[in-house]
Parts: sequence; C-alpha cells; structure tokens
Amino acid sequence: MGKKRFSLLDFIVWTSGILVYLFMILPVFVIAISAFSPSEYPEFPPKAVSLKWFTAIFTNPQWMDSLWISILLLFIVTPITVVMGTMASYALARLEFKGKGLIQAFVLSPLMIPQIVLGIALLYLFTTMGIIGTITGLVIGHMLISFPYVVRTVSVSVSNLDPRLELASMNLGATPMQTFFKVTLPLIKPGIIAGAVFAAVTSFGEISISLFVSSPSTITVPVRTFGYIEQTFDPSINAISVIFIVFSVVALLIIEKTVGLSKVM
Amino acid sequence: MYTGTRKIYTLWKRASRMKKTSTKKKNQLFHWLFLLPTLLFFGVFLVLPFALLIKLSFQDVDAMLITLNTYSLSQYIEVFSSPVYLGTIWSTIWVAALTTVFCLLLAYPAAYLLVRAPSRKMRALFYILLVSPLLTSVVIRTFAWIVLLAQNGLINDSLLKLNVIQEPLSMLWNMKAVIIAYVQVMLPFAVLPIATSLSETHVNLRNASMILGANRIQTFLKVTLPLTIPGAITGAIIVFSLAAGSYITPLLVGGRMQPLLPLSIYQQVMQVFNLPLAAAMSISLLVLVFIIVGLLGYILKRWEAKMNG
Amino acid sequence: MSEIHIDHVSRHFDDNIALADVSLTIKEGEFFSLLGPSGCGKSTLLNIIAGFLEPTDGVVHISGKDVTNLPPYRRNLGMVFQNYALFPHLTVFENIAYGLKIKKMSRQEIKERVEESLALVQLEQFAGRRPHQLSGGQQQRVAIARALAVRPSVLLLDEPLSNLDAKLRKEMQFELRNIQQRVGITTILVTHDQEEALSLSDRVGILGKGRLQQVGTPLEVYRAPANQFVAEFIGQVNLFEVALSQTNQPSPAGEISYEAISHMDGNIQPLALAATQKPEFKNGQALFMLRPERIQLAFVPLDLTANYAETRLLEMSYVGNALRLKVALAKGELVIHTPDPMFAELPKPGDVLYVYWNPEDLYALEAGE
Repeated sequence: MGKKRFSLLDFIVWTSGILVYLFMILPVFVIAISAFSPSEYPEFPPKAVSLKWFTAIFTNPQWMDSLWISILLLFIVTPITVVMGTMASYALARLEFKGKGLIQAFVLSPLMIPQIVLGIALLYLFTTMGIIGTITGLVIGHMLISFPYVVRTVSVSVSNLDPRLELASMNLGATPMQTFFKVTLPLIKPGIIAGAVFAAVTSFGEISISLFVSSPSTITVPVRTFGYIEQTFDPSINAISVIFIVFSVVALLIIEKTVGLSKVM
Repeated sequence: MYTGTRKIYTLWKRASRMKKTSTKKKNQLFHWLFLLPTLLFFGVFLVLPFALLIKLSFQDVDAMLITLNTYSLSQYIEVFSSPVYLGTIWSTIWVAALTTVFCLLLAYPAAYLLVRAPSRKMRALFYILLVSPLLTSVVIRTFAWIVLLAQNGLINDSLLKLNVIQEPLSMLWNMKAVIIAYVQVMLPFAVLPIATSLSETHVNLRNASMILGANRIQTFLKVTLPLTIPGAITGAIIVFSLAAGSYITPLLVGGRMQPLLPLSIYQQVMQVFNLPLAAAMSISLLVLVFIIVGLLGYILKRWEAKMNG
Repeated sequence: MSEIHIDHVSRHFDDNIALADVSLTIKEGEFFSLLGPSGCGKSTLLNIIAGFLEPTDGVVHISGKDVTNLPPYRRNLGMVFQNYALFPHLTVFENIAYGLKIKKMSRQEIKERVEESLALVQLEQFAGRRPHQLSGGQQQRVAIARALAVRPSVLLLDEPLSNLDAKLRKEMQFELRNIQQRVGITTILVTHDQEEALSLSDRVGILGKGRLQQVGTPLEVYRAPANQFVAEFIGQVNLFEVALSQTNQPSPAGEISYEAISHMDGNIQPLALAATQKPEFKNGQALFMLRPERIQLAFVPLDLTANYAETRLLEMSYVGNALRLKVALAKGELVIHTPDPMFAELPKPGDVLYVYWNPEDLYALEAGE
C-alpha cells in the first residue's frame, strides 16, 4: 500500500454510501431481531430472547395453512415458469423476425405494468372464467410476475452461448431437439438456476396480484401478513419476516454458489 | 491439443458445407414451437384481461353500480372531470417523481461503493446488502416501516426514552411515510443499473479528465455523471413505474385515504364495487405510466445514439 | 525548464514490488521512451509521473517542482491513453476544449486554441463530429490535439499506437515524432514495441522486473546493452558463456581466446571464441553476446580456428529483404539474420552451412541479471 492521503471527498462519499446501505438494510434487520422479543410489542433491542412468536406462528393452523399454500404455489409455479421461460428466451434469441422486439418487451412487461392494474385485470378475467379464488388463478398470476425474471437471466446465458456449437452438433447428425438437450441446455444451466431461484422467491413474496385473486381458502403467507398488519401489529409478523429473510438469504447463497451474484443482476 | 484443434476444424468445415436452407427452416419451426406456449399463455392471461378491462372501462353503471351493457365515455369523463381524481392523478405523478429523484440521489453513492470497493469480499457484502431486501416480500419491507414509524413504534419509543421528545411524533399515515418507504423498497432497482453504467465507464476517461486539469468533483460532474445517465434513466424507468402502480406500500404506511390513483382503484374495487370506474382509472394509470416510461425511454435512446452512434 | 527528475521511486502493491528504486532524469524537450515487457513496471512509473498513483517511496520533480503529492489535475501534463479515452458524449471540439474550459479561458481564446490544435493534427473539418464517428487514426490525433491544447509542460503517451494496424502505426509514429519536434515538448512514451521506441526516441529507458535496467540512446542500448536482460529484450541475440579457468592470453592482434558454452541449451560446446573485449568474470563466469546480423555465411569450409563453426540448417524464413536462419551447432543453436543473399536457390533445412564472425562483434555482457 502506498502512502494514503486523507481525502475529505472520499470520506464524504463513503460515509453517505454506507448510510444508504444502512437505510436499506436496517429496517428489515431491526424487525428480524425484534422477532425474538417476548414482549407484546416489537422491541429493539429485545430485553430477553424467546422463540415465543415463532411458536405462535408454527402452532397456528391458519398460518400453517398459508405456509402450505405458499410452498405449494412455489413448487408449481417455479418449474412451469422456468420451462416455459427457458424455451421462450432460447427461441427469442435464435429467431429473427419483425416484431421480435415487441414480443420481448411484451414478455418482460409484467414488471412494468402497474401492479394494481394487473391485479384488477386478472381479478376480472378470473371472475369471468370462474377460477377466481382457486390455486389455478394464483398459479397464473404468479407465473406472469415470475416470468420476466426467468427470461432475463436465461437470455443473458443464451446470448453468451456461441451458436456455432449448436451448428456443429447438428452437423454431427443431432436433431434440433437432441442439440437443445445435449448442447444448449447444459451450457445455459447457470441462467436457468438463477431464473428458478428468482421465480421461487418472487412467487413466495408476491402480494399485489394474490390479494385480488385469492379466496379465504387460498390465502398465501404475504396476503395473510397483509391482513394481519392492517388489523394489529405484534411480533408474530416479525417472526414471519424472519422466515422471509431466511428464504431470501438462502436464495442469495444458492445464486452465489451456482452462478455468482454479480453475473446475474 | 492438436487433435482437439483438428476436430474443431473438421466440424467447422462440415458446418460451412451443410445445406443451409432446409436446416434453417427446420430450426425455425422448432424455435417457433418453443415460443408457442409463451405466446398462448400471454395471449390468454395478459392480452385478454387487458382487452376485457378496456371494454369494461367503457361500460355504464346504474344507480346501484351494476354494470350495464351500454357503452360510453362516462367513466373516463368522471375520472378526468372530477377535481378529486385530477388531484389524485397529479399527486400520484408527483409522489412517483419524488421517489424516483430520491432513489437516484441515494443510488449514486451506493453504486459507487458497490463498484469501487477495494476488495472483492467488500463488494460481495455490498451486493448482498443490496439484493437481499429485494428478495424479501414487499409486505415485510413495508411492515418494517410501520414498526419503526408508528406512534408506539421503535423510533418514537427510543426518542421518548432519550427524552428528545415528550409526545410521540405522528410519522405514519402521511405521504412522507409513503415516500420514505417507497425509496427504501425501490432503491435497489436504481442502484443496480447505475452500478452497471459506472463499472462500464473506463478508468482512463476519468484519468483523462483529471490530467486535463479537472478535479474529482468536476470530473464526476462532467464525465462520470453524463456517462452514467443511461443507467440512471433505466433505474428511473423501473422506479417510476413501480412507484406509480403499487398499492401495498401506500395502503400500509399511508392509509387508504392518501390521494394516490392505485389506492382509489383499490377502493373502487374492494369497497365501492364500481368496477367500470376502477377499470377506467386503471387504464388511465396504465397509459400515464406508459407515456412517462416511453418518454424516458426515448431520452435514453437519444442519449445512447449520441454517444455510440 | 520541463525537466523530470525521478528520485529513488518505488511502488509496492501489497507484497508485490512493481517498481524498485528507480532514478531517472528526462531532459527538457527530449523524446524519452520507457520500454519493457508487460508487467515490467513501465505503466506504474508513468502513472506515478502522471499522479494517478502515489509512489511508496521516492520523489518526483517536474520543472524543478516537487509534485510527488500533487493530484494529477495540478501537474499541468498532457496525456494520450492507449484507448484514446476520448469523451464519448462530447464532440471533437468539446473534447479538445475540455481542459481549456476547466481553466476558465474565454470563449474566443478557447475557439482559437481548439482550431490551432486541430490544425496541428490536420483535422480541422472534423470539429463537429463525435468520437464514434472517427476512425482509429483520427481518434488518435484528436487525443493528441486534446493533450496539447492545454499547453502542458510534458506530454505522456501510454502505448498510444498499440490499437492501430501495422501500416497506420508506422504513419502515426512518423507524425507523432513530427508534432513533438514542432512543439518541442518533453515527451515520455511508454511502449512494449522496441522498434517503436528505438525509432522515435532520443533516449530509451529499459525496465525489467521493476528495475531500470539501462538508459541510453537507441544505439547504445542495442550495441552496448548493459546486461543480459537488455540484450535479450532489444532484438535477438546469441549468447556464449565462458568460464574463467582458461589461461587467456592476448594474441598479437589483441584478441583473447575463450572456450565457450553456447547459451542456447546450456550444453558444453567446443567452440573457440576470439574477442577483442575482456569480459568481467562473476563467479568464474562471463557472457559474450553476438547479434544475429553480425554472423556471416559460407557454403564451403573455411580455414579459421576461432569464431567459426560448421552448422546444420534447422529453420529458415525468407522475408524478402532478409533471411532469418536458425542453425544447429554440434550442441546448441545460433540465430542468424542476413540481408537477402544472392543465392540462386535458398538453402534447405539439413544443409550444411559454415558460419563465422569478427572478434569485435563479440560484446561482453555482465553475467546473470
């Protein structure tokens, strides 16, 4: 290391940067920690440590029902979205046609459409179709929201893939289908894994659409959380938060171990 | 080594010799088959609902708010002639714009640390701090602000204990709370594209500026800032459209009565049950967001064309 | 006085020593090249002169002023970067005006200065273009104009020609030298291209392994390299190791005979050398260098007792104006460059060639580093 002069500018930039990161992380950190407080209100720092509120969640049949619904959804939505999204991103990367840009923008659009509008449009459609309040409706809503994440991560992987490898495979006599499974798929696996993780996390945390299309028998964890917050607040929500945070950290670790975080974002 | 090279060379030869047209057609068919499920899915569950919503927005309602089979512009007329709704539209834009501006301001130092942190480990840490809230449900992140800002929340609690204040401050249920929560929830969407832009600006450009006599602040303003504008606009597009269309966060920290279009829509659907009016407001909101996003997108394109041809 | 004094400058990156105790003076108006293989520390040294890096130790003076702790923007230097580093969001005019605007010159002055700079590099008609609309060579010239527009005391060039194709590079070398002489500015060029360094510079500094190996005119560093590193880096070279154990007596003509080991593969090779120079023995070893173009060819055996060998041709490449050969000695190899010979037919690998050279062409080198 060379002689480092003190720079006021560096100091200001770093201080403000760190403050921004604190602003981003502290609220969630505070509620996660106060989940371990035994008192009736969230406390920070907690005066004592207890798992009381976790027990309250895990022994409450309503919360357990919701947890079951959310996990069920995640396991239906993730594979379908990943398969469909992978096929679509691959096709979009290889096809050249007029209006391709439009289709690309279209499959990414659920990210940009005001969530309330998407929620109401689906509410109306599902009511017309008679699938309002069903798991099917929730699956469709979650797929729409997760789809752009899969397309984005897989597209990056596909665009890094040399199409000549596929050409070579087909020249050795492989059909397009064999080529896709034996050459393409293994090479874009990192993008697919990242896409799957994002799809799962998105589905697990989705609320804006779920709130409109769920019924009392299909209440997901975020929807129940929302209803609960509207009425009261006690640290059982903090305990739920910890579940979400653990889930997101696990997701991050999977991405970091398989692809590397900086590559997918 | 040699045999490997040889093999690739042979493959190459064969690849170039193959009959292009028939294979190409076969491949194209294969690719279209891959795209088909997505097109069908999006057709049925994205195009169709919006078509229905547009149709609904032109339908009339009777005094009991029952949807009729007659069509007119009455819902839109109600939206755009009522001072309440016009005010709501205006404040929706205003809140989304403010959120965007604050996000961009805070995003620069955060992106700077993310890109320029001296060690890999440190950058990874910043990455995790940035992305982990993004992966946590928006309900939870908003809930954190309720816990912090409520009358009996942690901030009031601490300030009371420290005797800084005698009475709890009322920080929740106003537009300020909405904007604070929005900024915190959406900040990562602004940081990530700016960080990407920042990491793409070559160190030599900054060095060139400094050797020409510009100090670090001048260099930032005249070189780094203009070169990261594409990232900033990309971030602004995402943040603005999210802030204009979300209802969970404002509902929880601002309350149902805040003059925000998503909240008015929510009310019309969940409490008033005037679906055509909700549809008209939804379509108006959608068009509004598309206009502003389109405008930002146009500026982005122009800027990039200027720089890269 | 735009002299540059570099005084015992070192730079460490953590445990890595990028630059070790370099001292150097670059004279007013001189075209000086820092030459070395990649990772030798030449860019580190340039960055220290420019102020982008601080030295771990040592002092830098520019124009008699200690600038060691001055940031780059207070050093009044001009610099041309490897990728030109033109600001993509500014026009050619705005790029060149950049430093002038920072100096708060008047509009009229800026206009005059920019036009003058554009005229210097013959790009008057391109003022309104943006960098991406220019060819590589044009971008290069804008970069030079931008660097010179602020009237810097020193011009720094960081591998400025490495992105150009061979033909354009030759043209730009010529133009660069021309501009430098017209402006009369002290110039430091960093390059790994020895031909570029030798053809452009008044003096060359050769860096290797973080140390300054030699400073001298192009002629000096080629003909009288300070050590093995310089000899091997500048051009090609044949090396002979000789041992002290011989009783080396000068001949009547002043030549001294040695028993040599051809350095190419380190095998002992009974080759008799006769040199006019007396090497300095270090640990009983000394080195002689022989440039490939000093070796002469014959097709018939000659009656010579030293500086002569019978060889077998291994490889050969004919490049039009010259012939480059690699020949095998009984043990070891020699590299030979000869001007396009007037052979009716080129020799073939396996042919026997007889090679010889003059005693004065053996140059004694310091052994080892």
